Amino acid sequence: MRISSLISGTFGLAALALAATPGFAQSVEKAPPKGDYKKVSELVKLPDFLPGIGTLYVDPKTLPAGPFLAYDRDGKLSSTIYMIPTKDLAAQKKFEDLPAPGGRVNHVDLYFNAGHPGVEEPHYHIVLWHVSKADEAKVAKK
Amino acid sequence: MPTRRHVLRAGGGLAAGFFLPAGLIRAYAADDVVEIHMQGRPDGSAVWFDPIGLLVRPGQTIRWINSDPGNSHTATAYHPRNNDRPLRIPETAQPWNSDYLLPNEHFDVTLTVEGVYDYFCIPHEQAGMVGRLVVGTPSGPGARSFEGAGRSTGGQNWLPVPEAARKAFPDVQEILARKIVRRA
Repeated sequence: MRISSLISGTFGLAALALAATPGFAQSVEKAPPKGDYKKVSELVKLPDFLPGIGTLYVDPKTLPAGPFLAYDRDGKLSSTIYMIPTKDLAAQKKFEDLPAPGGRVNHVDLYFNAGHPGVEEPHYHIVLWHVSKADEAKVAKK
Repeated sequence: MPTRRHVLRAGGGLAAGFFLPAGLIRAYAADDVVEIHMQGRPDGSAVWFDPIGLLVRPGQTIRWINSDPGNSHTATAYHPRNNDRPLRIPETAQPWNSDYLLPNEHFDVTLTVEGVYDYFCIPHEQAGMVGRLVVGTPSGPGARSFEGAGRSTGGQNWLPVPEAARKAFPDVQEILARKIVRRA
């Protein structure tokens, strides 16, 4: 896998998110988000609240990449997540114009995920956090 | 603990899911009910069955428990009836599929036909989340190599076992020697 491609792509996603308009962000800042988003736990059999992530919503048409919108226990948007299959990264597949409706990004995480219902192949989570590192605790395991 | 109830015949034996607190049952192959936990790292970067290999007596009940708080898992026999997977349980045994288990749910199967049983987790097969049971004496398709599986039994359309899964299976001889094999 070409990590350099992954990282440059991530900076692109982050830049895209930073450029999102505040008005757009307002439609998704509280759960449930407006538009075609569905709660992931109602689409596939996954826990409603995922420790470390929160409650996920996605527009099914955008699978597997997303964006997935993740909300904390108070229903506040905490992160936007893209799920990119490792085989697509290895094939240098291009992802362009992925929506970034969550607005301002505080920091970004990238990590491997072995798969789960909905995105069953090994993939990377690219997480645009809209909250500070300290506030990640709001989606942590209780 | 949330639970689900399952009744299944596997190899002529009756398997009934019933509620017992998971912590009260030890995962020793000498017990009537042996536990296999579905595990995962908190970030989902690795998932596995614990133990991954187990030697049991005919008639013992296997209980899969989802102990991963952030993911769903299945315990699914390698069998053509499970989405064209290759036959890797004894020919006369009935296949099983737990369907998705949410955290703390469990699923039971009682195996009475001797032989090797290979199984996998549907959403994590590509990541190598598989397990192997030896019931009594090892025999049957699961005791054979993956190469050429199905060609002599009309299984040309069976899906291949992903490489990550093949590499993850513990060796049958290691299971016989150690009885309980955990992930390296």
